[in-house]
Amino acid sequence: MRQYTYFPGCAMESTGKPIQTSLDSVTKVLDIELKELEDWTCCGCPGESINELAATAIATRNLALAEKTHLDMVVPCSCCYRNLLAAHVTYTQDPRIREQVKKALGVVNIEYKGTLRIRNLVDVFINDIGLDVIASKVQKKLTGLKIANYYGCHQSRPYGPDDFEFPVWQDQIVESLGGESVFFPLKAQCCGGTQLFSNKDMIYKLLYNILDNVELHGGQCISSTLCPLCFTNLDANQGRIKNRDGKKFTMPVMALTQLMGIAFGLKPKEVGLDKNISPALKALEPYLKVTV
Amino acid sequence: METTTIREAKTFVDEVAAEPGGEKINECIQCGVCSGSCPTVEWWEYPPRKIIAMIRAGKRDKVLSSTSAFNCVTCYLCTVRCPRGIKPSQLIHAVEAIAEREGYKPKTPTLTLHRGLRDSMKRGRIWELSVAMRFYFKTSLLEGLRMMPVAWDLISRGLMPVFPPKKVKGSQEVTAIMKAVTSMQKSGGVK
Repeated sequence: MRQYTYFPGCAMESTGKPIQTSLDSVTKVLDIELKELEDWTCCGCPGESINELAATAIATRNLALAEKTHLDMVVPCSCCYRNLLAAHVTYTQDPRIREQVKKALGVVNIEYKGTLRIRNLVDVFINDIGLDVIASKVQKKLTGLKIANYYGCHQSRPYGPDDFEFPVWQDQIVESLGGESVFFPLKAQCCGGTQLFSNKDMIYKLLYNILDNVELHGGQCISSTLCPLCFTNLDANQGRIKNRDGKKFTMPVMALTQLMGIAFGLKPKEVGLDKNISPALKALEPYLKVTV
Repeated sequence: METTTIREAKTFVDEVAAEPGGEKINECIQCGVCSGSCPTVEWWEYPPRKIIAMIRAGKRDKVLSSTSAFNCVTCYLCTVRCPRGIKPSQLIHAVEAIAEREGYKPKTPTLTLHRGLRDSMKRGRIWELSVAMRFYFKTSLLEGLRMMPVAWDLISRGLMPVFPPKKVKGSQEVTAIMKAVTSMQKSGGVK
């Protein structure tokens, strides 16, 4: 069994619940133990745009707590992942910021040494577990399902380790489940994030671009990154966006771990598929019965 | 045409360079890869390349009162592509930070959203519904009503809790850290 410190992030307790449910089930199958970081707080990302120092300091507090566990820290939410990793990079490489962050954390007697390894879950699936192990757990092959893998920005940008612009790891996982991965150029285009509240037209255009691009390249469903923000933006807003034919989009959207769970023979409820707003369950129905 | 003295220009570019993320502004070669990569560039009054040029020309008021920087969705496409390693997304955040701190009022609700999100960190963990409600109360109730169908889809599935998340021990520490950061920033020197 592999053990990791687990940083869920705030959204995993709300909009990310279906992802969390599927993640719990799938990690169990893959013999991964995620130990939730005690006393974690917001990663700091919401403050990044107007107060980077505050964002870095709050992130570093979480890093300092995780460092004491002497395990790699796994972060499924892309925004948390990127902000925590950014804080680590800045803290270890920029002496000016480090001094300021040290001073701020000194107020609560916390110190970060800079030894923590921060990783996203897809990285763990590929590099620690391996595609062969994932393939060996498959009970219901997703044969014939054309899956468009959506990565969003922060899972691989700006720090990698997957390709910045055309990442491939999710495609590889989906193919090891027996599905057919569909290439579409906007696979790592931005979902718009929180500006959905304040800049709706702009974000709906971004979402339109992604959904349209998937349709254009023949994707039957979207397997989304494990970021609750990307997932929810794509899953919940389709009823408000019209496609080329002037109809509402009805593209099934599921998180990567939901798809993995179904292929591993788990029940829809065990992977939170009853909570998706888009018709994800319907798209996977044919695969609930077949066994390999 | 707005003219600026060399001294004014120098002051503004130094100011941005002193902000986290703005450090490398002087290394920009104005190639425009940032503007060309930006997925939201059609909404920017001044695209990122132009903002950098304007900062270096000392157009302080024009840059800080424009809504442009607030259209950045922080996707980092410019950052991974910039041939000079400037991190334009962080530089744009530096502009947003100065505008926010100095009370400029660019006509965009995104500034209110950013403020709300930043302040919501103080409670330790984010409570989305409260962030959204506060935002719509401050900007446009009508917009809030328009978003109700999406909100209801989430609330009815238990995906947007109507009660706040539990307070963790760390909340107080986060509040203290934010206070320390703010006071450091206010006392000048450190930004």
